[in-house]
Amino acid sequence: MQCREIAEVLEQEGLAPLPESARAHVARCPHCQDYIADLETIVSAAHELPAEVEPPARLWMALRAQLEREGIIREPVTAPKDEPASWWDGFGAFFRSRGLATVTVGALIAAAAIVELRQPREPLPPEVVATAKQLNEQEIDVKNMHLAGTSPVDAALERNLNEIDDFIADCERHLQEAPQDDLAREYLYSAYQQKAELLAAMLDRGRSVN
Amino acid sequence: MCTRSMGRSVTLLLGTAVALGSGWSVEAASQRIEKHFPVNGRPVVVIQNVANGRIEVKSSKNPEVIVVVNEASNKVDFAMEQAGDRVDVTASIGDASAQPVDLETSLQLTVPEETELQLKTENGLIYVEQVMGDMTLESIAGDIHLKEVSGYIIVKTTGGSLVCTQCAGKLDFNSVGGGAQILQPALTNVNLRTTTGNILFDGDFIRTGLYAMKSGKGLVEVRFSGSDSFDLKAQTATGTVDNQAAAFLKPDSHGTVGRLGSRFKGLFGTFGAGLAKVELSTYSGTIRILRRDVAYPSH
Repeated sequence: MQCREIAEVLEQEGLAPLPESARAHVARCPHCQDYIADLETIVSAAHELPAEVEPPARLWMALRAQLEREGIIREPVTAPKDEPASWWDGFGAFFRSRGLATVTVGALIAAAAIVELRQPREPLPPEVVATAKQLNEQEIDVKNMHLAGTSPVDAALERNLNEIDDFIADCERHLQEAPQDDLAREYLYSAYQQKAELLAAMLDRGRSVN
Repeated sequence: MCTRSMGRSVTLLLGTAVALGSGWSVEAASQRIEKHFPVNGRPVVVIQNVANGRIEVKSSKNPEVIVVVNEASNKVDFAMEQAGDRVDVTASIGDASAQPVDLETSLQLTVPEETELQLKTENGLIYVEQVMGDMTLESIAGDIHLKEVSGYIIVKTTGGSLVCTQCAGKLDFNSVGGGAQILQPALTNVNLRTTTGNILFDGDFIRTGLYAMKSGKGLVEVRFSGSDSFDLKAQTATGTVDNQAAAFLKPDSHGTVGRLGSRFKGLFGTFGAGLAKVELSTYSGTIRILRRDVAYPSH
């Protein structure tokens, strides 16, 4: 029996007592011994986890804010303001803090990854497309604030944002052609996360300077 | 306790007197502030800097934190506070119309050898030497150079690069455009991620260590030594894997490549007994694997 076959047996039957031929291979193969030891550690750790883990309150807040913005759920109607809300109010709600923005994008990407596991593979799931669209809209707003001033830091942020945009475009093109490429998908999601953090940093910096 | 006003006035007077006495020519606004904070045990130093300039941290045997600020103008406000063993230094722009040249400020810190650091800056070099303790270093455009530091080291930059020489412990690096050079390390856990920067790891993989290095578009180069022992996984989506150490790497003994099939672009291999775990990846860049003690043609 080969290492590959041991892995297949474990995938199908778990850590239940192995067939004699498998036990014989494991007895003389240190790699398979390590592999089984790792699996046992994971199973043992999993048993110690609570049945349900309560997510942090901030995650619920971020998801709720996002769902409200998309009109999926609505808050009770409150008294209208004297003046119409500016574009800043809507934009600022998402980027009220760097942490909130980052958590929101992270939560959306994580949710998309879970949905993706349950559905046939597409180039990009709708949740991710929506997140990307939202990031692009926010990017326009940030650029409209004329943050990219003359300082070296502003110039560096602008340059890095362009680099991220180029990279995202490249990954998205590639995933259209090869939707099964998990590595490209991992890099793309990571780039979305970095873009969200970058936009939040630019906004924070704009606030502190202006 | 805000010490800026008094410290600045005294230093300004002394500085002016010295300058006049010695006949030096100095700009009226430039100034030097020095503060000493006695500490017990292992202090935590927190710096939040919006000025342009270098932050330098070195260690001494003395149980105190010394902060020296050299400002080009008086347009940056410094607040220094001590709460027990925590020392906070916060720089903020006092004059919104200040030009970048007005914000030129360098910070020199001398800390006990065992100190925890949390440094955040926008531009300018962060340099830390011979400090033991956990540290979080953040920069937008400035580079970060570490020499002979140890602990759990977290580095986050937007465009700045990291050079880590003779570092020990655990290292996390995350950047959009910055690169990372890890030279002569004694690190047991390394996690490097950059989107467009290059990564160079030149040193030993410690047995049982975990090493992950990822660059979206850049070069990931690893130079390992002949005494190393590690399992290697190198993977790319559209880039290339340049394995110049193929002669020294045993092929994948687990049959993993075969299981992954044609979707997998890269290589698995084992060097020595395969004790450490090394994972390299790039989306569209190049992964280069070399053995340090072998002469290769120049690239």
